[in-house]
Amino acid sequence: MTLPCLPPTESAATCMCGCGEPHWGWGPHAPSSLLLLSLLCTAPLGLLGGETRQVSLEVISGWPGLPQSLLHIRAVGPNSTLHYVWSSLGPPAVVLVATDTPHSVLNVNWSRLLSPKPDGGLRVLPEDSVQFSSALIFTRLLEFDGTNMLDVAAEPLGKPYPPYSLAEFSWNNITDSLDPASLSATFQGHPVNDPSGAFANGSLAFKVQAFSSSGRPAQPPRLLHTADACQLEVALVGASPRGNHSLFGLEVVTVGQRPDCPSRREQHSIDDEYAPAVFQVDQLLWGPLPSGFLQWRPVAFSQKQRSRESALPCQASPLRPSLEYSLPQSPIVQAFFRSQSNFCSFNLTFGAPTGPGYWDQHYLSWSMLLGMGSLPVDALSPLILGIVAVALGAPGLLLLGGGLVLLLRHKQHSEYQSIN
Amino acid sequence: MEEVEETRALLAGGAGGAGTAGTAGRPRALPALYDPSHLAHRLVVLLLMCLLGFGSYFCYDTPAALQTQVKRDMQVNTTKFMLLYAWYSWPNVVLCFLGGFLIDRVFGIRWGTIIFSCFVCIGQVIFALGAIVNAFWLMEFGRFVFGIGGESLAVAQNTYAVSWFKGKELNLVFGLQLSMARIGSTVNMNVMGWLYSKIEASLGSAGHTTLGFTLMVGGITCILSLICALALAYLDHRAERILHKEQGKTGEVIKLTDIKDFSLPLWLIFIICVCYYVAVFPFIGLGKVFFIEKFGFSPQKASAVNSVVYIISAPMSPIFGLLVDKTGKNIIWVLCAVATTLMSHMMLAFTMWTPWIAMCLLGLSYSLLACALWPMVAFVVPEHQLGTAYGFMQSIQNLGLAIISIIAGMILDTWGYLFLEVFFVACVYLSLLSVVLLYLVNRVRDGNLNYSARKREEMKLSHTE
Repeated sequence: MTLPCLPPTESAATCMCGCGEPHWGWGPHAPSSLLLLSLLCTAPLGLLGGETRQVSLEVISGWPGLPQSLLHIRAVGPNSTLHYVWSSLGPPAVVLVATDTPHSVLNVNWSRLLSPKPDGGLRVLPEDSVQFSSALIFTRLLEFDGTNMLDVAAEPLGKPYPPYSLAEFSWNNITDSLDPASLSATFQGHPVNDPSGAFANGSLAFKVQAFSSSGRPAQPPRLLHTADACQLEVALVGASPRGNHSLFGLEVVTVGQRPDCPSRREQHSIDDEYAPAVFQVDQLLWGPLPSGFLQWRPVAFSQKQRSRESALPCQASPLRPSLEYSLPQSPIVQAFFRSQSNFCSFNLTFGAPTGPGYWDQHYLSWSMLLGMGSLPVDALSPLILGIVAVALGAPGLLLLGGGLVLLLRHKQHSEYQSIN
Repeated sequence: MEEVEETRALLAGGAGGAGTAGTAGRPRALPALYDPSHLAHRLVVLLLMCLLGFGSYFCYDTPAALQTQVKRDMQVNTTKFMLLYAWYSWPNVVLCFLGGFLIDRVFGIRWGTIIFSCFVCIGQVIFALGAIVNAFWLMEFGRFVFGIGGESLAVAQNTYAVSWFKGKELNLVFGLQLSMARIGSTVNMNVMGWLYSKIEASLGSAGHTTLGFTLMVGGITCILSLICALALAYLDHRAERILHKEQGKTGEVIKLTDIKDFSLPLWLIFIICVCYYVAVFPFIGLGKVFFIEKFGFSPQKASAVNSVVYIISAPMSPIFGLLVDKTGKNIIWVLCAVATTLMSHMMLAFTMWTPWIAMCLLGLSYSLLACALWPMVAFVVPEHQLGTAYGFMQSIQNLGLAIISIIAGMILDTWGYLFLEVFFVACVYLSLLSVVLLYLVNRVRDGNLNYSARKREEMKLSHTE
C-alpha cells in the first residue's frame, strides 16, 4: 500500500509543514484506468475512521446581562488544535484557526470586542503557534422573483428583491440550543425591523455541528466529514416569500490573509450513493492543500424529508474581491485579523424557476462542511465494491474452471477415440 | 415491446399458417395499385403495416422522454414513475400466451388488429387524461390498458406480414417493420421534450395540464395507427374477396403443460434473456436524467444519447441477422453481446467517459443479442413446442421487466445511479454467467447450439438423407 492512499486526516498544523499531499479524487482529470485500483486502495482505509479529536463546545458570554456570546469549538488532536469561533455579533461569522500545539487557547477581550475598534479583541494564544487562519461571513439573504424570466442571460434567476441584511437580524441566545451530546448549536434569527411581517412566523437558522471523528451524517447530502471539519446547515423556515416563485440565495464573504481569493473547484465524481443523482462536490480552497476548505454538494432541499423529490439545484457564483467597507462589519473578524485581511464574496442560490422550490412548504435547507487540513476523501461503499469484485472476479474463475473441465473432458475424449 | 419482433422470423418460418395468396379467379385486370396480387399494392399494404406499429412504439417510451416533467408535474418519485413501465408489462405476462389465441380463434386478424389498436389509443388517452385531472393512478391504469393492446398489436402486425408477404419479401418486411418501430421510439425520445416546451409556452405555464396535453398530442400517433388498422382490415377483406385469400393466422399453439418438458439449455436461455433485457429497458426508461445529472448533458442531448440504442438497432439488426445466419456459432455471438453490454454498463457506472461510447456499444450489443439469442430457442425445442417456448420466454421477460422496473426506481431513489448501475452490472453478469454455463452444458451434451452455419447445413443434409 503506497503512502498517498493513506486517509489524509493528519491535522492541519502538521500538514502545513509537510509537503503538498497529492489530492486523490476521481473525476475527469483522474486517470480512469487507475480508478478502480485507487478506489480499492482507498476504500478499506477510509473505513477505519482516521484520526479522532477531543472536541468541546463552549459558549463564551460577554458581561452578564449582555445577550452577545460566542460559540467556541475547540478540537484537540495529538499535536494540534483547531479553533472555530462562531458569532452573531453583526452578521453570522466564523473564524477558523489552526495551531500546531495541543495547548493553544482562545483569548477574548470583550470590552475591546464590543468597542467600535475591536482590533485585537480576539486572539489565539500562543500567537506564534497559529499556522492557518481564515473566516467566513454570511452577509445577506437574497431573494429573486423566479416568475419573471424576461432576460435569462442577464438575470438567470429573475429580478432580485432587496436583500435582507443578516447584520440587521436579531439572534437567539446560543446557550439554549447548545447540545453537548451531538456537539451542535443553532443560531436562529429574524430581522429586527420586519415591516412587511415576512418573518412573523419564520426564521433563518444556522446550525453548527462539530465531529470528534470521521463519519457521515444520516441525512442527505451525507458529505463525509473528518474530525477536522464542522458542518453548517442553513435553514430558512416559514418566512413569507415576496413572490409566488421566489428563489432564495445567500451572500457569503471569505476572509483570508493571502492577496488572492480562495479558489473554487467543482469535483465530479462517479459516486452518488449518498446523495442520489448528485455527482458533484463543490470546494472552496484557501490555498494549496492542506489549508482551509469549504465543501458542499450542489443540492438543497425544499422539505424536511430530504429526498430526491425535494432536491433543488444549488449554484455558486464565481468569487470576486470585495472591499471591506462595502460589507457589513463583523467584529470578530476585525478583532482577529485587524486590517491585514483580504475579502472576497460569492453568492449561493438555491432552486430553479421550475421544479420543487421554497414555495412548496416554505422550507429550504442547505448544508456544507468547513474545515482545515486535508479534504475528506470519499470512497465507494463496501457493498458496491463487493458486488463489483464478485462481478469482476467470478467470470474469471468460472472461465478458468470451465476451461479445466473442457480440457480434462477433451483428454478423456481423445483417449476414448484412440482405443477405437 | 421488443421481444415480439424477435420471434417473428421463426414463427413465420416455422409455424406461420398463413393462407396462400392464390391468383386463381381474378375477375379482371385491375390497375397495379388496386391489384392485391401486384407489388405496388403490396407496398401500400407494407406502408400501412409499418405505420400500424408506429403509434404504440412512439407512445411506449413517452414516460422516458418526459421523465423530468412527469415526476415534477405529477409530484411522484422515481419508484412511482417506474410503475408506469411496470403496469405496461403486467398484462403481457399473461397476454403473451393469449395474444395468438385471441387473433386465431376469437377475433380474427382484422378485428384483432382493430381491437388492439383501440386498446392502444384508449390507453394513451386515459394516460393523458390522468395527467390532465392530476390523478396518477389513472395514468397507471392508462398504461395498463395500453399494455394490453401494445404487445398483442405487435403479434397482429407480424401475422399480417406473414399473410401478405410469405414466400416473397418476408424478411425484408420484418426488417422494415423493426426499423419503423425503432424510428418510432427515436422520434418519440427526441420530440416529446420539445413538444412539451411548445405546449408549455402556449399554455403559459408548466404543470400537469401541460403534461396531459402533450401526451394527448402524442396520442395522435395512436389514432394514425388505428386508421391504418382500419385500412388494413378493409384491404385484407378486399384481397380475400378478390384473391380468395384466407385470413392470416399466427398458428401459435400454446400448451402450458409443455413447460415441464423444457430442457436445461432452454431454461438457461430464459435466464440470459430476462437478466439481459432487465438491464436494458429499465435503464433506457431512467437514462435521460442520468445523462443530464452525471454528464451534464442538456435535455435534448440526453434524449439523443438515450435513443442511440434504438437508432443503431434500426440498421444493425438486419446486418447482424445476416452475420449470425452466415456464421452460426450462436452462443459465441451471445457471449460477445452480453460481455459488450457488461462493459458498456461498467463504463457508465465507473467512468466519466462520454456516454456516447457506452450507449453505442449498448446499441450494437443489443442488436447482436436479439439476432443470436432468439433463434437459439428453435434449436433446443421441438417445433410443436415452439409457440409455448416463445410465449413463455416473453411472459417471464415481461414479468422480469415489471418487477425490475419497480426495483430500479426504488434503488435510484434510495441509493442513486451508481448503485443502480452496479445493480444492472450484476444482472448482466448473471446473464453472462448463464451464457458460459450454456456453453459448457452444450459442450458436455454435444448440443447443436454452437454449430457453425456450414455444420448446420451438413446436419440438415444428413437428416434428409
